[in-house]
Amino acid sequence: MKRIAVMLSLLVIFGMLLGACATPTPQTIVETVEVPVMQTQIVEQTKVVMETQVVEVTPEAAPGMELPREETLYFNGQQWDPVKCWNPYSTDCNNAMALAAGDNSRVTMFETAYLYDMLDGGMYPLLADGDFQWNDAETQITFKIKPAAHWSDGTPVTADDFAYTWDTYIKYNTNAGNNYKPYVDSVVAADPSTVVVKAVLGDNGMALNPLMVKAYLSSTYVAQKAWTQTLEARTGEDATAFLADESLDVVYSGPYHNFYNDESKVILIRDDAYWGQDASMWGQLPAPKYLAHMIYRDNAAGSAALFGGEVDVSQQFNSNIQMMWLNYGLPISTYLPEAPYMIGGTLPTAYYNMNSYGLDNVAIRKAIALAVDYPTIIANAMTNQSATFDQVPRSLMNPTEGEQALYDHAAVADLQWAGNDIEGATKMLDEAGVVDTNGDGWREYNGETLHYVATCPNGWSDWQAAMEVVAAAGAKIGIDITTNYPEWGVYQTIVTKSDEPLPEGYDIFMMWTDGPGPTQPWGRIRHLLSSEFVGQTVNWNGNWGQYSNPEVDDLIAQIPSETDPAKLKEIYTELVRIYLTDVPSFSLMYRPQVFHTVNETIWTGFPHQDDGTNPPVPPMDCTDGWGVACLYNLTLVSAAQ
Amino acid sequence: MTVDREIRRLDLKGYRKYFLNKAMWFAVTFVCAFLLNFILPRLMPGDPVAAIVAHMAQGQSNAAGVQAIYQQYTELFGTNKPMVQQFFIYVKNVFHGDFGFSFSQYPRTVAQVIKSSIVWTLCLQFPAIILGWLIGNTLGALAAYLKKGFDKVLMPISIFVSNFPAFGMAVILLVVFGVSLRWFPTSGGYGYDLIPTFSWKFIWSVIVHYQLPFWSIVLIAIGGQAIGMRSMAIYELNADYVKYSRFMGIKDRKIIGYVFRNAMLPQVTGLALSIGSMVSGALVAEIIFSYPGLGYTILHATMGQDYPLISGTTLIITIMVLVAMFAIDMVYGFIDPRIKAAQSE
Repeated sequence: MKRIAVMLSLLVIFGMLLGACATPTPQTIVETVEVPVMQTQIVEQTKVVMETQVVEVTPEAAPGMELPREETLYFNGQQWDPVKCWNPYSTDCNNAMALAAGDNSRVTMFETAYLYDMLDGGMYPLLADGDFQWNDAETQITFKIKPAAHWSDGTPVTADDFAYTWDTYIKYNTNAGNNYKPYVDSVVAADPSTVVVKAVLGDNGMALNPLMVKAYLSSTYVAQKAWTQTLEARTGEDATAFLADESLDVVYSGPYHNFYNDESKVILIRDDAYWGQDASMWGQLPAPKYLAHMIYRDNAAGSAALFGGEVDVSQQFNSNIQMMWLNYGLPISTYLPEAPYMIGGTLPTAYYNMNSYGLDNVAIRKAIALAVDYPTIIANAMTNQSATFDQVPRSLMNPTEGEQALYDHAAVADLQWAGNDIEGATKMLDEAGVVDTNGDGWREYNGETLHYVATCPNGWSDWQAAMEVVAAAGAKIGIDITTNYPEWGVYQTIVTKSDEPLPEGYDIFMMWTDGPGPTQPWGRIRHLLSSEFVGQTVNWNGNWGQYSNPEVDDLIAQIPSETDPAKLKEIYTELVRIYLTDVPSFSLMYRPQVFHTVNETIWTGFPHQDDGTNPPVPPMDCTDGWGVACLYNLTLVSAAQ
Repeated sequence: MTVDREIRRLDLKGYRKYFLNKAMWFAVTFVCAFLLNFILPRLMPGDPVAAIVAHMAQGQSNAAGVQAIYQQYTELFGTNKPMVQQFFIYVKNVFHGDFGFSFSQYPRTVAQVIKSSIVWTLCLQFPAIILGWLIGNTLGALAAYLKKGFDKVLMPISIFVSNFPAFGMAVILLVVFGVSLRWFPTSGGYGYDLIPTFSWKFIWSVIVHYQLPFWSIVLIAIGGQAIGMRSMAIYELNADYVKYSRFMGIKDRKIIGYVFRNAMLPQVTGLALSIGSMVSGALVAEIIFSYPGLGYTILHATMGQDYPLISGTTLIITIMVLVAMFAIDMVYGFIDPRIKAAQSE
C-alpha cells in the first residue's frame, strides 16, 4: 500500500516536472480554424426578485479554438474584471471592450452618430451622413443617417431608432438620460433618415447649452428600437431589471461583437457583414478579425505581457516605458517618441477642503501649492509620462494644443508656479501672519497650529506617491501634513457627499478632472469650480472641496452659448486668473486620457505623432472616438516584410 | 471474551461521548461564525451601494438622477432595511442555498461568481498543499533521523525558504523562469490565445500555466513543514519510550514507525487547517501570475464591501475549516487514544 502511495506521488511529481519542461504556448499560427456559426436561444423564466426572463445566447466560439495571432489584436488595461453584461443602456456592465459611452465613446460594438477627435476637436460622422446643422434660431440640430448604416440583424438604422433610444434613456433614468435631460428636450424622427435633436431653451429662446446638445451626438450610443422593445417586454418595463439585463441577444451596429468571455479574457469577433465597409464610411472592414483582452490582475502582469509580445495595445500605466525600447530594443512605442510620451488629457488634482481650519485662507492654500515638488511627482509617480508645469504652465486646460490656445498665457504668467518654491511659500505665509509663535516648529493661524491630512484611495500608487510629496512640502514650510489612505469604498462615499462639510482627515484630497471632449474645457472648469454641486447628497460631478464664487458661476454660465472666440478667450483667461489666485485646488500632474503604448511585433500602422493621417487619428487605443480609425490603418508586420 | 466485549463497550461509549462533545462545540462555533460572517462585513465604514452608483453615474451631472439610481439599488440589495431584518432575510435565503446578488458584480449572483473561480482555486491549492506537506514532512523526518550532513544542509535551506515572503518567491520565479528564460508563460490560467475546451492543446496549456503558481506555493510550504517535522521528530526520538524500546531490543524500523506516528500529529492538524482554508485562495500567486481564482475575488469583495460575496465565501471557508477540524478530531480519537481518553473524561 505504502509503495503504491509512493509510486503515485512520484508519478504526480514527474508529471508536473514534465509539464514544467514545456515551452510556452507558441506565438506563431499553427492553423486557421473556420468558425461555425451556432446560435441557439434558450428563453427561460427565472424566479429572481425582479421577475425577469434570462435569455442565453451561446457564443459562437468553436471548441478548442486557438486565436490566429495574425488576426487578433490584443489589449490590456481596459478590462480588469469579468464582463457582467452587454446592455448598451447600462453603465455598470464592466464591459470595457464593448461599452464605454462618453466624450470619446468606444465604438467597437455600439455606435454613435459622430466620432470625436481629441486632437483637432472635430466631430466626424459615423452613423450620421455629413455634418450636423443647427437651425437659424439655434434651437435644434438636424442630421441625416447614412443609407448604408445597418444593424447586425440586417435591418437599417433609422431615425426612429435614435428617437426611441432617447425616449428610453429618459424613461429608465439611464446615465445618458439623466446627464442630457437638462439640455436636450427631445430627439425626433423628421423622416426615416433624418434625426432632429431639440434643445432645452434658455430665457433668450435659444438652446440653453449648445455644447451639451452637440456633445450628445458623439457621446451616446444608439440602440435598435425593436430590440429595446424586446428588452422592455422581457423585463416588464422595470427600470432596475431593464438596466441590469445581461442582453446577450443585443442587436448592434458596430464592427465587432461578443465571441467569448470568462474570468480570464474577453474576445470580440468581427462582423464580416458590418455596414461600415461601405464606401460611404470606411470602405473596408477593420483589419483584426478578433479583439482580445486578457484580464490581468495588476499593471505588473500587464507590463510583462506587453514585454512578451502578448499585448499589442496597452491602455495601462507601464512604469518607465522608455526602457522597453531603449534597454531591451523591443518594437514598443508611445504616441510621442520622447517624454512625456503620451498626450495629457486629464489633470489629477489635489482639492482643498474649504471648510478645514485655515484652508479658508488663500495664503495658506497657495503656499502649500507653491511648495510642492511637482518634478518629483512627475518623475516618480508618472515616470515622466506627464508634461511638467514648466513645459505646460498650469491652468484649467489640458495640454492639448486646442485647449491651450483658448486662454491668454501672458495675462496670467505672473500668477504661475512650477513648484518647489519654498522661499516664496515661506514669505507668503510670513506676510499673511501665519507664523510659528510657540516655537514648536509648526506655524499657527490665529493661535491654532496648522495640521492637515492629505489623502487619496489606498492602492492608487501614483496618487499616493503624489500625496507623500505634498506632505513633504508641508514639512518644508512649517505646516504639519500627514497622509492617510482609506479604501476606495470608504473614500468615495465621504468625498462625494457634498451636502455637509467634509469630515476630519479630508483636508487635502485627490480626485480627477474631465478629459478631452466636445464640451471641454467648459465641462472641466464647471466640474472644478462651479458651486452648483455644493449641497448635493451624492456628488459625482466635482468641486468636492466645496469652493463657492458667484463670479466664477456667472462666467461658467456664459460659456456654452458664447460663440465669439475673442469673448470666449477673455472668459477662459479670467477663469484661469481666478483659479490661480484663489487656488481652491491644484493639479499635481498631467495624465493621458488613456495610456496608449503599442507593440509592433505583429501589427503596425498605429497612430503616432505626425503620422500623416488626416483627420489626425488620436492615440485612443484604436477603440475610442475617431481613434477607432486606427483599426482600418493596421497592417501586418509580416506582410510589410 | 466477556472482559474483551466489556472493554469494547466502554471504549465505544467513551468514543460516543467524545463525538457528541466535539459535535456540540463545533455547532456552537458554527453559529458564532455564521453570525460574525454576516455582521463583520457590515461594520466596515463606507457604503457599498455608493460604490456601484459611482460606476453608473460617472460623468453624470444631474444630481436627482444619481439619487434615483442610488435609491433603486438600496431597495434592490435591501441595504435600506434594518440590519436585523437583513439578517433574517439572509438566513432564510442561505437555507435555500441562495446567497443573493453580488453587489460588486451585479447582476451576477454570488453562486455564479464563486462557481466560476472555485475550480481554479481548488486545482491550484489542493495538490500544492498535499505535495508541500508530503515532501516537507519526508525531508523533515529524514533530517531528524539521518542528521549529519543532510540535516546541516537541509535546515538552513528550509529556514531560508520558509521565511521567504510568498510574493518574493513568486516574483523570483516569474522573473527567472517567465521573463528571462521564457520557459513558462507569465500570466493566466491557460494560453492567452486559447478558448477553453477538452482538448490536448488546452490541457497542456493549463499544465504549463500551472507550474509557476504551483511551485511558488509548494516551495514555501516545503520549508515550513520540514522544520516543523524535524523538531517534532527530534523530540520524539529522545523520548523515554524510544530509549525503553531500544533497551527492550525492539527493531529500529519498528521504533521509527512509532516515532513518526507521534511526530505526525501536529502536522496532520496543520494539514487539515490548510485544506479547510484552501478555498480562500492563493492570493499572492493569483495576483502575481494573474491566475484565476477565488482569492482575488474575495480581496475585491472585501475592498468593495460586497457583503453577500464576503459572507458567501467566508461561510464556505468556515464550513470547510470546521469540517476539516471535526474530521481530524474524530481521526485523532482513533489514531491517538490518549486524546480521546483525555477529552472523554
